[in-house]
Amino acid sequence: MTIRVLLALLIILALAASLLISVVAGDLLASYAGPGGFLAWASAPLSPAIIVSVLTGAIISVIFFLIVNALVVRPLRAICSAMDAFANGAAHVKLPVFKGSPSEIRNFARIWSEFASRVEDSHSRDTEMSRVKSDFISTAAHQLRTPLTGIRWALEALEKEKLTESQAMLIKSAVDKSHDLVGIVGTLLDISSIESGKYKYQFVSDDIESLASEVATDFLPLAQRTGVILTYVPIGGLPKVRIDRERMKWVLNNLIENAIRYTPQGGSVQVSTVAVSGRVMVRVRDTGIGIHDQDRNNIFERFYRAGNAVAKDNQGNGLGLYIARSIVNDHRGDLSFEANAEGPGTTFTLALPSA
Amino acid sequence: MTDTKFILVVEDDPILKNLLGHTFAGRYQTLYAGDGNEALTLFDNNKPSLVLLDLMLPTMDGFAVLEALRARSDEGKTVPVIVVSNLGQESDKKRAMDLGATAYLVKAEVDVDEIIATIEATLKPAQ
Repeated sequence: MTIRVLLALLIILALAASLLISVVAGDLLASYAGPGGFLAWASAPLSPAIIVSVLTGAIISVIFFLIVNALVVRPLRAICSAMDAFANGAAHVKLPVFKGSPSEIRNFARIWSEFASRVEDSHSRDTEMSRVKSDFISTAAHQLRTPLTGIRWALEALEKEKLTESQAMLIKSAVDKSHDLVGIVGTLLDISSIESGKYKYQFVSDDIESLASEVATDFLPLAQRTGVILTYVPIGGLPKVRIDRERMKWVLNNLIENAIRYTPQGGSVQVSTVAVSGRVMVRVRDTGIGIHDQDRNNIFERFYRAGNAVAKDNQGNGLGLYIARSIVNDHRGDLSFEANAEGPGTTFTLALPSA
Repeated sequence: MTDTKFILVVEDDPILKNLLGHTFAGRYQTLYAGDGNEALTLFDNNKPSLVLLDLMLPTMDGFAVLEALRARSDEGKTVPVIVVSNLGQESDKKRAMDLGATAYLVKAEVDVDEIIATIEATLKPAQ
């Protein structure tokens, strides 16, 4: 059965009803035009024909309503609420078979089910991919660490031998670089564990201004080298925030480093901190090359690098902002950005709930 | 029990084993095990005063060795066990510490002197 058929049936029923009514109405008109006019008619007792026709009409309407309600309205509502729940992140609920409903409704329910399963499948594939990638990074990092340990320990043992000055210098360079490499591998491991949600944060109530000062100071040499003016002036007295200091430092490192790297010589990067309605904000405003429209929706994606990043020959693995946002989300904060209202450049805003 | 500082090093990588041996030479008496089963056998035969334990080992891993030692009623229950592993995640550390490890060092992130310092600090109260 289709809705059209259903409608046709309903129309036929309605016609039958109106036919009945018209017979009764003819009766009515006759009595209206009769002796005594309207008053006589109005005060006359209801004829059984009228009562019957009104009752019939009422019963037919109720039956219409119940049929349409049961076969069309209810299934549609069930489908809508299932779609709504799914859209809001609930698991896909199997819809019942709507027996006797019009075929459009049954098809609709079936197509919706197929669609939802497909979305679910691809979502679980995505989750699986992400897990595999995470496992890969962490295995690779472990595999890297063992030979690295050997190199490090051997170099350190060699460092203690009697060496000429130039030998000592060479060994020291190798030792320093092996330490760098150990640090990089550690970061990779952290990233993979943050990404897989396994990272254990050490939250403490802390002062964001001292952290921002520390990071800004760390980046002064880079800013100087690239001809960018980096400033941060703490205003003091901001409420404390609940943060994992090491991770939050990582976030600020990324924001400030990005700002410097994407700002041409002669530009500026201003870091500021303010408290706004129960939240503490860190703003990093640059006068850089800005973020192209086509990149705006993607810059927080994994491994995404803005189109203009390559041209500028900036290094980076495209993980920075993705991980930064993951960390900020784990702090129940927000990380967002907008183009500067005046002049070129972008402002990133990190918002954290105050402790 | 011997009176000398006698330690059991459980390490499957031969090069890392040699590097540790190079550093420990003249400082400690050392015994080496390349896997978990060998570690437990050597422990039984020699009753060392400290165990340096890697976690990723063939056949029986370091977690299982630690668990087996702590489940015993002899010296295995109390012997200091310093985990020296390249598993660096908090969850691994917690698991090892919960199983009764005395200390946890991430191999690539420490130099050999730090391992010695940890051994010294661990052995000191026992002397």
